[in-house]
Amino acid sequence: MNAVVEPLVATESKPKMTIRDVHVHYEDVHAVKGIDLDLYSDKVTALIGPSGCGKSTLLRCLNRMNDTISDCRVQGQIYLDGQDIYASDIDVVQLRARVGMVFQKPNPFPKSIYDNVAYGPRIHGLATDREALDEIVEASLEKAGLWQEVKDRLDHQGTALSGGQQQRLCIARAIAVNPEVILMDEPCSSLDPIATAKVEALIDELSGRYAIVIVTHSMQQAARVSQKTVFFHLGEMIEYGDTTQIFTAPQQEQTRDYITGRIG
Amino acid sequence: MIDPDGHMQPDVQGVDWTSPQMQARLKKRYWVDRLFRGLGLSAVAAAALFLIVLLGNIIQTGISGFFQTSIEIDISFDAAILPDPTLPRNEFSQAVAQVNMQRIIRQALLEKFPDVSGRSDTIRLTRMLSSGSRSQLRSLIVRKPEIVGTKLPVQLLASDEVDQAVKGNIDISLPEENRKLKNKEVGWLNQLQLEDRVSLNFHPRFITSGDSREPELVGVWGAAVGSGITLLVTLLTAFPIGLAAAIYLEEFAPRNRLTTIIEININNLAAVPSIVFGLLGLAVFLGAMGMARSAPLVGGLTLALLTLPTIIISARSAISAVPQSIRDAARGLGASPMQVAFHHVIPLAMPGVLTGTIIGMARALGESAPLLMIGMVAFIVDVPTGINDPATVLPVQIYLWADSPERAFIEKTSAAIMVLLFFLISMNGVAIWMRQKFERNW
Repeated sequence: MNAVVEPLVATESKPKMTIRDVHVHYEDVHAVKGIDLDLYSDKVTALIGPSGCGKSTLLRCLNRMNDTISDCRVQGQIYLDGQDIYASDIDVVQLRARVGMVFQKPNPFPKSIYDNVAYGPRIHGLATDREALDEIVEASLEKAGLWQEVKDRLDHQGTALSGGQQQRLCIARAIAVNPEVILMDEPCSSLDPIATAKVEALIDELSGRYAIVIVTHSMQQAARVSQKTVFFHLGEMIEYGDTTQIFTAPQQEQTRDYITGRIG
Repeated sequence: MIDPDGHMQPDVQGVDWTSPQMQARLKKRYWVDRLFRGLGLSAVAAAALFLIVLLGNIIQTGISGFFQTSIEIDISFDAAILPDPTLPRNEFSQAVAQVNMQRIIRQALLEKFPDVSGRSDTIRLTRMLSSGSRSQLRSLIVRKPEIVGTKLPVQLLASDEVDQAVKGNIDISLPEENRKLKNKEVGWLNQLQLEDRVSLNFHPRFITSGDSREPELVGVWGAAVGSGITLLVTLLTAFPIGLAAAIYLEEFAPRNRLTTIIEININNLAAVPSIVFGLLGLAVFLGAMGMARSAPLVGGLTLALLTLPTIIISARSAISAVPQSIRDAARGLGASPMQVAFHHVIPLAMPGVLTGTIIGMARALGESAPLLMIGMVAFIVDVPTGINDPATVLPVQIYLWADSPERAFIEKTSAAIMVLLFFLISMNGVAIWMRQKFERNW
């Protein structure tokens, strides 16, 4: 049942997710218009473009978060390891465990720091006993660079942390279920520069282990954290390439205009 | 003004903020401000005044309902009439129950007032005391068998008319034929008062006993227990059904024509007059299902119909107030819709749901009209012990007493209103406390 999907660029390694001819409609708005894209396990892919260009919509298709919006229609194919995630035999719950998500605004549960991180492993039965769960929580917080800051107050409310800490807690929560892909929807847009720097360093840290897709409005951020960059405009993919190439030698005039700040 | 580039620019320097017109505008604005503040304040004051007058009136009338007049009479516990106190306890109390207490009391009263003679005067004299004085005396003897053979002063409950006279609620200066308490009785009462044998004491019976035909013997306990059992039935039916309906409508139901119609109808149900729910309860529970009438089960189910829309509406608004980001977070981790609802949304919405439920229950507690329809208006003396016992509830009890002809029921009605208000204010207090304690800023 696994379809063999030819990668867009033959020279690259096997992609983790492949997106082929994806269209998204909201009622009468054609938000995403025929996107083809490959996402790689060892790379950070940045989606950039002006507001309303469909980048967040596309991101939310990758773990089917759009399912709950009743008038949103997704056409085309999205494959995770060659499996169509919109196929009828796909379990959305498992898909979302494999494709984690970090949101624009930090949204920790109003529970303790420990319970925030332990929630995912608990509902998916990833830990057999309390010790194993403790280990997962510690490892996740460690990976998210938060362990040293919170190890003495795991029972404090997650919502009482600072904004940047909350966002890193959300990242820890996402990686606690051991996902293969992490989707980040403008993860730094509500953070100050120092917290942003920490989160960016964290993305760098995680980039080898997970396929990371990040939507961002900040050119500098895209340039700093990603290896691949996609530029969207009005629902269409204008340009896709290595980040260095996009930022130093864009092929399309629209891309050049956007990056230099003339449109957007 | 036209700038060098040829664009129109507003002529800012031209506004004279100190001109008389500007001053007048400013003055008018201040005046309107003051006017509205004054109107608002007087509206609040008027509302507070109404409340104070209402509460003040009820408390002023009702406070004396918690007190009752007793008359001290020297009773001789004649060993010739009363059973042998050395008998075993059971036999003794059975034997005491056979004794005509009325005779003992009459004897004592005639001893006190030796010049009273003739059948009608004797009856008048004995009616100075409550019919409850006989059981008072009986239980005293059973409790203390050692008093048999002695003569002791005993505090016995006065009749309602005497009680009202002592409380000053009967105008003695009226012509004799216009009052129930005749001159002779007033004379006897005055003599007793002179001897300091009349006392007004706190009357625990008003709290602990059920209804009665005699105002001096009534109590709110039966109605309070009836209200309690009824509300329990209401809570146990309306809360789970209401919460489940709210969860389904908010979290699971598709947004379509059918759910829109259901929503509109729930909102409409909340505005339906309560007596209509009474008729529904009458038709369904008593008519179609043949349940026991006048029972807390039926009353509770009828009130559940009444509170259900309130609970659904408040639970829905509490559930929809839980931010979408929490649902997204859980869903993004792979929580199923059920897990999102039960692990996150409902616990966070619970304080709001409970607040709404308590307010709904408080409304049910104060409701009388639908219960009249299902027969909870019967005269019931016994305190109910189960959901199928005949019972009444506090508001209906108030209605029944307000409808009674005896003068003494006026203060009992107000006193019962005080008890009902106490429960209502306590429930609303709990709701406010919960809202404050669990209030959450997102």
